[in-house]
Amino acid sequence: MSNWPLRAGSVLVTLSILLLWQAVTASGLVAPVFLPSPSSTFANLWRGLIRGDLLGLTLSTMERMIYGWMLASLGGILLGALIGLSPRARYWLTPTLELLRPLPASTLLPVGIALFGLHPSMLLGIIAFGAVWPVLLPTIHGFSAIDPRLREVARNLGIGPFSFAIKFGLPNALPDVIAGMRLSLTACLIITVVGEMITAQQGLGATIMMAARSFRSTDLYAGIILLGVVGAINNALLGIIERALTPWRTAHA
Amino acid sequence: MNAPLAPAVAACAGPAIAFDGVRLDLGGKCIIDGLSLTIAPGEFACVVGPSGCGKTTLLRLVTGLLSPTLGQVRRFGAPVDGPSRDVAIVFQDYGRALLPWRTASGNVALALEAMNTPRGERVERVAGLLDKVGLTGHGDKYPAQLSGGMQQRVQIARCLAQGPRVLLMDEPFGALDALTRQALQDEIAKLISESGATALFVTHDLDEAIYLGDRVFALQGNPGRLAEVIDVDLQRPRDQLRTREHPEFLRLRHVLFDHVQKTH
Ligand SMILES: Nc1ncnc2c1ncn2[C@@H]1O[C@H](COP(=O)(O)OP(=O)(O)O)[C@@H](O)[C@H]1O
Ligand SMILES: [Mg+2]
Repeated sequence: MSNWPLRAGSVLVTLSILLLWQAVTASGLVAPVFLPSPSSTFANLWRGLIRGDLLGLTLSTMERMIYGWMLASLGGILLGALIGLSPRARYWLTPTLELLRPLPASTLLPVGIALFGLHPSMLLGIIAFGAVWPVLLPTIHGFSAIDPRLREVARNLGIGPFSFAIKFGLPNALPDVIAGMRLSLTACLIITVVGEMITAQQGLGATIMMAARSFRSTDLYAGIILLGVVGAINNALLGIIERALTPWRTAHA
Repeated sequence: MNAPLAPAVAACAGPAIAFDGVRLDLGGKCIIDGLSLTIAPGEFACVVGPSGCGKTTLLRLVTGLLSPTLGQVRRFGAPVDGPSRDVAIVFQDYGRALLPWRTASGNVALALEAMNTPRGERVERVAGLLDKVGLTGHGDKYPAQLSGGMQQRVQIARCLAQGPRVLLMDEPFGALDALTRQALQDEIAKLISESGATALFVTHDLDEAIYLGDRVFALQGNPGRLAEVIDVDLQRPRDQLRTREHPEFLRLRHVLFDHVQKTH
């Protein structure tokens, strides 16, 4: 497998975009207050990380994102397994879920603030609510769409409902669940940042918002770059986890 | 490991499988009507018949996944009231009957887990079963990494792991190439005779039915009922060349073909 031309290409594209950015700012087409040069942005980013406050902010945003994500994943998998395995649960819960699903998490923030105040766990709850859907829906599908032949195998062997859920349902759902957890993590990052912006809780979201309001454009762009890096790292880590958890999908003859 | 795969069947006199005036309606349609037959313990019984005549349905009645509308199905004298681990079934579509997320060993171990075999015994039992079906050294492979014939061997090993008194097979070799099919025919005949289990083997291949069976039940369709039973008096162990060239084999083949022509 030689995919180095692809890798080289992606590096080239990234470099070209940075060069273009540099050229635009150097030409003076856009005022630095709206678009600072990449060099001053990265210098600022580096200073912020070294001085420590930017690193701390990034960590608190990531912490919030990861807790929200774990909450969303756990809730999505448990609820999804229940709905996927039990037709009755499916009948009872589907209408409610269909009503809740289209609600954007950001519209729930004001509701959450009104009901629970600016409590950190309120924000976590909202993040989990917004990010549960990409996990819940594939989990339901994975647990309900088990080959009828396999159900018959389980019945013939007298495998009980709990064993069936663990040995048939979970692995059947796992590839889709992990793909969903990937999407969910991205959703968590977005909702966390928006939530921080609205509730002004300490983190990258609030920092970016403050930077934008006070025209500290290098801070603004440094924050955005950090968010991009966090997102990319998330995705790469989950890719590795996915391959480790579903070895049968990459096994070849 | 030389432990017998099936418990001694001598304890129970009478037939291993008995259909007593069985009628089955599904979706308002009569699928099987007036079916009576008995299969003795340790017998290798084959079932042939046109597609849609109710062969798979007959097996489901034996497993207890379906219950007769009228009449009774009994196993070892007791009316069937649901699936039992004494009864194992090999499906034709091995690709769908194996858990893709488990290795060959893991698939075989599933049956042992279901029977609460102590964890410490499982590894050795699984290895012994894989040896028995000719899959030594393939235990760590996933189904997707195995050929069709090997996947079907895994399914057979999983069924043997149940230590069944009755082994049901639903066109198990129908999707395999001719050479693999012949090899598996000989292996299954050997495994059944070693284990002393009763076999009920569904096929649409008349030659296969005669080659494997002690008796062949020919069904006819609409609704499914018994059309003909032939006794196969051919020496065991059978041989792919000599048995198939034996005058008695050819005579039985003739009888069965004539019969199928008539009822088709
Ligand atoms: N669940 C069911 N409901 C209604 N009809 C069925 C059902 N299962 C099977 N049948 C019908 O019963 C007949 C026999 O089916 P089957 O036993 O699968 O035949 P075979 O295995 O001999 O090809 C077919 O006509 C089939 O359409
Ligand atoms: Mg069939």
